Formats: sequence, structure tokens, C-alpha cells
Amino acid sequence: MRTPILRAAASVIAFAAASGMALAQDVAREDTVIFDLDRTIQDPENFNWFTDNSGVKRISGAHQTMWEPLFILNYGTGELEPWLATGAESNDEFTEWTLTLREGVTWSDGEAFNADDVVYTVGVALENDELSAREAAALRGQVASVEKVDDLTVRFTLNAPNPRFVVENFGVRIANSFLIMPEHVWAGEDPATFTFFPPIGTGPYEYSSGATNRMIWDKRDSWWGADTGFMDMPEPARVIFLESGGEESRAQLMVSNQLDAAQNVTIGTFEAIQAQNPNVIAWYDDYPFAAADPCARQLEINTTIAPWDNANMRKAVAHIIDRSQIVNIAYEGTTEASQTMFAQYGSMDPFINAVVDAGYGLPARSDVEAGQALIEAEGWTRDGDYYTKDGETLSVNIHVNSASTEYTRTIDVIVEQLQRAGIDARAVPVENGVFWGEVLPFGAYEMSYSWLSCGSVNEPWASMGRYTVKDVVPVGERSPGFNNTARWDGAAAEAYSAIVDEISGRALGDEAVPGLVAEAYQHLDAEMPFIPLVQAAKLLPMNTTYWTGWPTADNYYNSPFFWWGHTHQIIHNLEKAQ
Amino acid sequence: MTSQDHVPMTRAEKRQAKRIRRFDNPWMNPKLLWGVGLLLGIIALGLIGRVLWDPELVFTGSAPLKLPPVGFENLRRQEGIWDYPLGTDGGGRDLLALIIIGAPNTLFVGLLASLIGMSIGIFLGFSAGFLGGRTDDTIRVLADVMITIPPLLILVVFQSAFGDVTLTMMALLIAGFVWQSPTRLIRAQVLSMKQSGYVQMAQLSGASTGHIMFREMLPNLVPYLFGSFIASVTTSIVTAVGLEVLGLGPQRIPTLGRTIYEAINAGALIQNLWWWWGIPTLLLAVMFIGLLLINLGLDEVSNPRLRKLS
Repeated sequence: MRTPILRAAASVIAFAAASGMALAQDVAREDTVIFDLDRTIQDPENFNWFTDNSGVKRISGAHQTMWEPLFILNYGTGELEPWLATGAESNDEFTEWTLTLREGVTWSDGEAFNADDVVYTVGVALENDELSAREAAALRGQVASVEKVDDLTVRFTLNAPNPRFVVENFGVRIANSFLIMPEHVWAGEDPATFTFFPPIGTGPYEYSSGATNRMIWDKRDSWWGADTGFMDMPEPARVIFLESGGEESRAQLMVSNQLDAAQNVTIGTFEAIQAQNPNVIAWYDDYPFAAADPCARQLEINTTIAPWDNANMRKAVAHIIDRSQIVNIAYEGTTEASQTMFAQYGSMDPFINAVVDAGYGLPARSDVEAGQALIEAEGWTRDGDYYTKDGETLSVNIHVNSASTEYTRTIDVIVEQLQRAGIDARAVPVENGVFWGEVLPFGAYEMSYSWLSCGSVNEPWASMGRYTVKDVVPVGERSPGFNNTARWDGAAAEAYSAIVDEISGRALGDEAVPGLVAEAYQHLDAEMPFIPLVQAAKLLPMNTTYWTGWPTADNYYNSPFFWWGHTHQIIHNLEKAQ
Repeated sequence: MTSQDHVPMTRAEKRQAKRIRRFDNPWMNPKLLWGVGLLLGIIALGLIGRVLWDPELVFTGSAPLKLPPVGFENLRRQEGIWDYPLGTDGGGRDLLALIIIGAPNTLFVGLLASLIGMSIGIFLGFSAGFLGGRTDDTIRVLADVMITIPPLLILVVFQSAFGDVTLTMMALLIAGFVWQSPTRLIRAQVLSMKQSGYVQMAQLSGASTGHIMFREMLPNLVPYLFGSFIASVTTSIVTAVGLEVLGLGPQRIPTLGRTIYEAINAGALIQNLWWWWGIPTLLLAVMFIGLLLINLGLDEVSNPRLRKLS
């Protein structure tokens, strides 16, 4: 947890450097958009996204300005908007998908973007098991083969029916999408070690310079989109992603107009920013200000480590956790308690209701006695502050990513709740890269704070499919695509997986699905491989001093999460403030 | 003299008399008394506070969030209430409880670390100075090398590796970095003292090395050691607070440094939650002023020439 302060100092220097450079190359502040980055770019000269688990090689501007997705899911309308592709069709069984690419798309070095690039990039993901990025792993699990039909048409043959294939892999459904790389640059390189530096893309911006705490992208002279009439050139001449280093410095930078869009802050900080700089806005004009994030927060449990390999012990923890206290303290009332593993979007209501009606919904308040009764039934006895059994104290280490106050404070609250109930819980704050790179995928934890059931926004499978038995690997091996990092196994998990597989082949809107969801959920409820906590809310301050056209509830062209791959749309919507 | 018996004392004479009284009892030094008073005040705050106030309020979620001290308003126009007279922080902890528990904890780390560090320093310093030869070379080189290493750098790495540490653990780690200066200084003192008559006398009369070192020489160094001890308490507290402010101290045990860390981390400055970082900072200031006064006072006690004559 030391990093925020070091980073704060670093980012001040970085900013001086960044603005110095901006002056040197004559890009005025009013032509520059500065986005906030919440993590350190450990290796700024490596753009091989296939090997990137913490996402930082993409979210420091690469997939927002340089690499473009095939489609973008519009959160407002629920539609899949074509970008580099123009359409996708499947056969009736959803086992074969044909994608059509847009004509006239070119890489920034002038080469044409075509089916060869798509086939090559998908092939790289299929053939190299060591490429660990979630998007590559997910595609590897789904696709049997890929072939070029003509220059602008690609056909995928899947292992199993998947009606959501395109939105899941190529549509920026949540944060990322599978990114197509230029074959003419990558061919002949080892995809596991190639650094792809300097990088090129199809987008309107190109890489200018980078360091561990910032990355600068400059507008190109021409872009295929403007040439073909797809879209006008975006207005900003330069886009900077700058590591601000924590809530305090992020707030100060917003107040002094040195940042145009900031990462999540607490509501108190947001109110303070707005009081000092009335040009700063958020998703809503008024309380609660924050936009709902599709990744609900949860407590991930490693089901292979005693005593948490016992479902009753996990259920006990679930009883002890008080979600409403997390909402009130860690989020200061800006979010709500989770009832199920799902994001509480209107589009998810049928599935959430089915689970709640079947009696598997989670209460907002705790039932400490029920939890303690379960612990005592397992042979633990309370000895002073903590439970003990055979001379051993009931204790747990909870790993938490130290990148945000939101994460650490949630775990502080949970630690306190467990302590009071007689479990010697401790928070283990870990740096972002270590957390995503070493702790979570390899099961090197007892419990951890995560959002790994994230996935579903309008159907249940994307989330539920992440906890099936086919993804179980031993501790010390990498969980494929961060799926089932809880390593949940056994009879109940198998029964659950069978029902989830049944759901996976069904089309969107199939009436039997909510019933199946409830049926599968009984196993999750009985075994608790993870404990849903609260819905995530992101309070993102956006500055209208230099730029207007930010996404808000009133101007809902897409979600405001500017570290996602759909940020192309945000940048295209920005207009110079008058 | 007889003629003067009836005459009231002149101002100069009064001053003289006062001065003599002061020389009579050098320990009644006002700086020393003030310093000791301030530190005892903090210890008393911890002892009495625990009885009169609810120590459970130091835990997350035990109080409303961000309430100001009594008599002030926060940005949301909430007024301070007597249930939480010094206000509360952003995690729902009571500031009064935090300082009742946290301030003695911070002092404890400093005292323990320098007690251990000084003991090591005394032992090594005496050994080096008195025994000389190889022992001296080894200890001197070791101390010289350690003196050049910036302690915070090493401690940051250590603490990160250990994860959640206890107060005692932290004190032990810091103690590993406060023994070098006392070692060097005591060695120098011992070297000069070794030539003095009473030491040579003791040697001639066959006293053991341990006896000479700790029974003959040590008592003469006591005032000096005291001063050195207080200086190393200050260093230890600065180091401990430095680590805590970086978020590397114990996590669930309140300390002043950790409170400041959490305030900075949660944006307390921009939200104008001055009590959150201000009160612990004030207490740290009091602690350092207390230590400084004790140090100055001890100087005057052991060195009469420093005492003011008026």
C-alpha cells in the first residue's frame, strides 16, 4: 500500500515532464485530452497484449486510441455497433460464425487491414497456450478453426454452440475485446516474447512516447474512418494517459484542470472537487453521481485450502458479512448490496428474480449467530477473541489489490466484521500487477477481493460459465482466463456445470433460461465458492473546462468507463469547450 | 556580614541565590521538566483514556463517517457532536479513540526500538573501544557500513515482505538501524576513558573486563547515554512514522502515522477533513517537542556550562 504516495510524487514529476513535452511539440493544452491511469505501466515498451494479465498494456491508451475493436456494444441501446467489421452471421446451431470486415480500413503504415490479419491473430491465440490474456484464453476455449473466405470475410467454426460468440469476444462487452494485430508486422515473430515496439494500429492516433507513468498518443494526419466517410477525424490533437497516483492527487489535478477525466473517487472527494471547480461533472448531475459498473464485487475463496475447503465454513463467512455496512462505509451510500452474482441491470432482472424467488438471494444484513452456529457445528470453539480447534486459531488472509481506496476499504470493513465474529482476518494489500499476475490466477490466496464473476450484462451465461469444473486447475497453475480461480470442484460443482452447459447453447430470450439459472444457482448457494458483496459504482469526475461531450446519463451514447475499448466513441464525441 | 543581615538582598544577590539553588539541584531543569511532562501527558492520555473512553471506537465502522470536532462544521454542513468530540474519519473511526490508542503506540515503538538499539550500541561500543584489535576493526567496519545505508529504504523492503507486522516486530526492525551511531560515539568515549587513572587502576588490580566495562566505566557515561538515548528515540519515531505514513505499519493497530496515511489516501486534504490528519500531526509535534526539550534539559544537567546564569 506504499505505492499511492510514491506514485503521487512520481506523477507530479511525470506531469511536469508530460506538459513540458507537450510544449516542446507545440500541442496546446486545449487541444489535449488527459485521462487518468490508475496503475503503473511496468513495461512501457511492450505492446504484446497477449501476455498481459493486468491489462495495463492496453488501457494506457493503446486500445482506446490506436487499436480498434471489430464491434462495440452500446450499453445504452444494447446494440452491437459495427466498427472494423460490418456484420456477423451464424448458422442455426450457432456453431459457425461468419464475420464481414469493413472495406477501406488501413493500418497506420498504409497496409490494408483484411481477413489475413484476423485469421493470423486468431491463429496465434489458438496455437499458443502460453498466451495468458483472458481474451486469448477465452477464444482458445471456444474456436475449433478459423478460415479466410475472401479478403473481407472470415469464418469461425466453434467447439460448441455459442449464440453470444461475437459480442463476447469482439464486442467490448466488458472492458476489452479480442484485438486484431497486423500480420505483416507480427509474422515470423514468437508471439510469446515479441514486444511489438513501436506499435501500430488502425486508429486515428499513433504512439508518441511512453514512460512508466504516462503514455502520449498523437493524432495522425489521416485515418481510414475519415477517408471512407465512416466518421470524422476526432478533435483532440493529443491524448495523454497519466498516472495520477491516488485520490488526493487525482482530485487536485481535476481542480486545477490538469486532468480531463479521473478514475473513481469517493463521493466526499467528488463533492469537494465540484465545490472548487464547478466545471467538473459526473454520470448523474446529482446524488449518487456514480455510474453502475457491470462487475459486481465479491469475496473469492480458494476452495482447496482448509478450513475454507468446507462449504459450511464458506457459508458461515457469507452469513457474517454485512453488505449494507460495506455500502455505507466503503461506498458512502453510492451503491447497493448484491442479491446474486449478477450485475443488477434492468436487463438482468429476469435471472436475478428467478434466483431470488427460488430462495437463493442474499440478504443485505448479516446474521452473525447463524454464521457462528455453522462454525461451531464444524467443531470450532470460541476461546477469547477467536475460534480455535486442536490448538489452531481460525484465521484468514484476504488479498486485496491496493490500487484503489474502494477495494481496500471494502476489505477493511469485512476484516472488521470477521474479527468481531471470532475469525482472525487480516488484509494483505498487494500491488496491482502482483495481484492480477501472481495472486489470483495461480490460487495463491485464501480469500481475495475480486469481481471475477463479471461478464453478464443481458444474459446469465457469461458470468455463470466462469465457475464450471472444466476450468479447474491445481493451485500453482494458471486458471484459464481467470475462470474458476476458486477451483471449485466436486459433485455440486459438476451438477452446476452440467446445467450451465445446458444454458450456454440456448439463444438470447429463451424462456426456459431463468428456470435453469435458478436450478444451477442452488449449488452456488449451497457451496459458496465466492461470496457476492455489493454492486460496483464508479464515480468518475469529468472536466468540461477544455472538452465537452462526455458520456452522462443525459448523453448516453455509451458507458463512461474510459479505460475500456469503447473509449474511441468517447474521444470521437469530445468537442472543444467554447 | 553582620551589617548586611538586616539589609534586603539586592537584585544581583537574589539572582545569585537562585543560581546557587539551581546548581544545587540540576535535575529541576525547566526544559527537562516540560519535556518529561509532555511525554507523560501522552502516556497519561493513553492510560486514562482507555478507562474513560471506549477503545472499541478505533475500529472501522464503529462511528458515523467524517464528522467534524465539536464546534465545527464539515463540507456537508454536519456539526460535531459530543459523542465524538474530536470528530471521526472516513472509515467511521473516532479520532479521540484513535489518538488515545495510537499516540502511546507510536511512542512505544520509538522507546522499544531505541532501547534495543542502545543496548546493542552500548555493548558493541564498549567491546570495540575496550578490547580493541580485531574486535574493534570488525565492529567499526560494520557500524561504518551500516551508517551509510539509508534505513527507510531497507525497511520499506522488509515491511513489504513481511506484510502485516506487529508493533514489536516493527520496533525490532527499526532497532536494527539505530545502533550504529551510539556504537561509534561510545567507542570514542571509551577509548579516551581507557587512559584514565581509575581504569588503569582497576586493570592493575585484576578486575575482569566485564567489571571494568560495565561497573567502572558505564556509570560515568550515564548522562551522556541518556542524551544519546533520547536522540535515538526521536530517530526511531521518525522512522516508524515514516513507514506508517507509507502504509507499511501494522494495519489493524492504530498508530498516528497510519491515521495520517489513511487520511492522505482517502483525499482528506481536498475534502477539508483537517481534523483527520491535523490532530495526529499535532500530537506528533507535541511528542517531538517533548523529546527535544528533554534532550536540551539533559544537556544542561550534564554540562553545567550550558546553564544560563541569569
